[in-house]
Amino acid sequence: MSTISIRHLSKSYGAFLAVNDVSIDIPSGCVFGLLGPNGAGKTTTFKCMLGLARPSSGEVLYGDRPLAPATFEDLTYVPERSVLYEWMTIRDHLELQRRSYARYNPNRAADLLALFGLDARKRVRSTSKGMRTALAIVLAFSIEPKILVLDEPTSGLDPVNQRAVLKLIIDAAAGGTTVIFSSHQIGQVERAAEHIAIMQNGGLVLTGSVDDLKYEQKIVEGIFETDGFSTNGFGGDARISRVEKTGRILRLTVRRDSDSIASDLNGMGAQSVRVVDLNLEDIFLNAVDPSQQTADVVEGA
Amino acid sequence: MPAVFTVDPRSGVPIYLQLIEQIKRSVALGVLQPGEQLPTVKQLAVDLTINPNTVGRAYRDLERDAVIETAPGRGSFVRDNGSAQAPARQAASDVAKDALVQAVRESKSVGLSREQTRTLFSAALDRWFPEEA
Repeated sequence: MSTISIRHLSKSYGAFLAVNDVSIDIPSGCVFGLLGPNGAGKTTTFKCMLGLARPSSGEVLYGDRPLAPATFEDLTYVPERSVLYEWMTIRDHLELQRRSYARYNPNRAADLLALFGLDARKRVRSTSKGMRTALAIVLAFSIEPKILVLDEPTSGLDPVNQRAVLKLIIDAAAGGTTVIFSSHQIGQVERAAEHIAIMQNGGLVLTGSVDDLKYEQKIVEGIFETDGFSTNGFGGDARISRVEKTGRILRLTVRRDSDSIASDLNGMGAQSVRVVDLNLEDIFLNAVDPSQQTADVVEGA
Repeated sequence: MPAVFTVDPRSGVPIYLQLIEQIKRSVALGVLQPGEQLPTVKQLAVDLTINPNTVGRAYRDLERDAVIETAPGRGSFVRDNGSAQAPARQAASDVAKDALVQAVRESKSVGLSREQTRTLFSAALDRWFPEEA
């Protein structure tokens, strides 16, 4: 199984542009995390990937081919609101999965039921929100797919079961499965995902490896003798996403090269220079903050 | 596999760098002995609930730094190349060097001079290596 390529994907619903020229490459065997505020276009992107919505323009390629019926045998999608039948039991749902997928593994399904403490005799009607999410996860992992697309896979689960889902994702990825998932819980993405993309208002605002982003994105802070120092030269610098001057303190949010930028501040005569690490939540919030899109100089009090 | 590693995924320090630091520390302290087998990438990823390719990246860097070696199909081992202490010394020196660089940078960042930093460093040396003072 090779790379999934989303190429210049756009999707409009009437006048509303839900996805706007998004291009993402997802390497085979990778865990890919899709982040973004509500309404960013994550679910629409998933639907276009899976043929559940027709792109207005652009395409999604599996290897070098568009989605074909044969790909569905290798692929599982867990939508944010799981598609379950109220009147059917959990066992009925497993039976449906067995009939639909040649890859269905009954032993695996039994293990997964036990993992989440689900009783196969129960009807969906009498289960909680968390149990429904767990059942959708059991169904997805019971067919041992090569590609897993999970939209908010842990919503409604308690912390113990959330961790169990993350371990299933990691175990599948270690076995070569490509996993694409969205989550509002940045901590989960930070643990499980190797690569991420951040979407906002239908567009892609940031993409990269989690470790590389943490390695590169920093805050460089300099304290000067007086507030008379110049911020000229930082405004147009592509390495810097935000410049804040507050009295004698200069705070730069940098996209890369924090070491050389720290040296620059030293060269400008800063008394003290420090480099502050950013975690994925900081990086996410910076990426979706409209004031960070240009390196305008912000002067504080 | 006696060594237990912990990582803090919410830290701004990349997880693979945290893992490299911890494994080097374990080798330096002899918690991991030369020739000892490390957990597989999959096992460590699932145990720590972190991405398998992140663990793989840490192992590749540790191989490059000659701390561990990987035999295809057999797994990864702490290097044992005759001079049993070599990887441990290398690992110890790497860990200490990173910490010293960090300390000197911190000293500079709070505005101390080169001489003031040297004085503090000497005092720390005298405290922790008193027999040679």
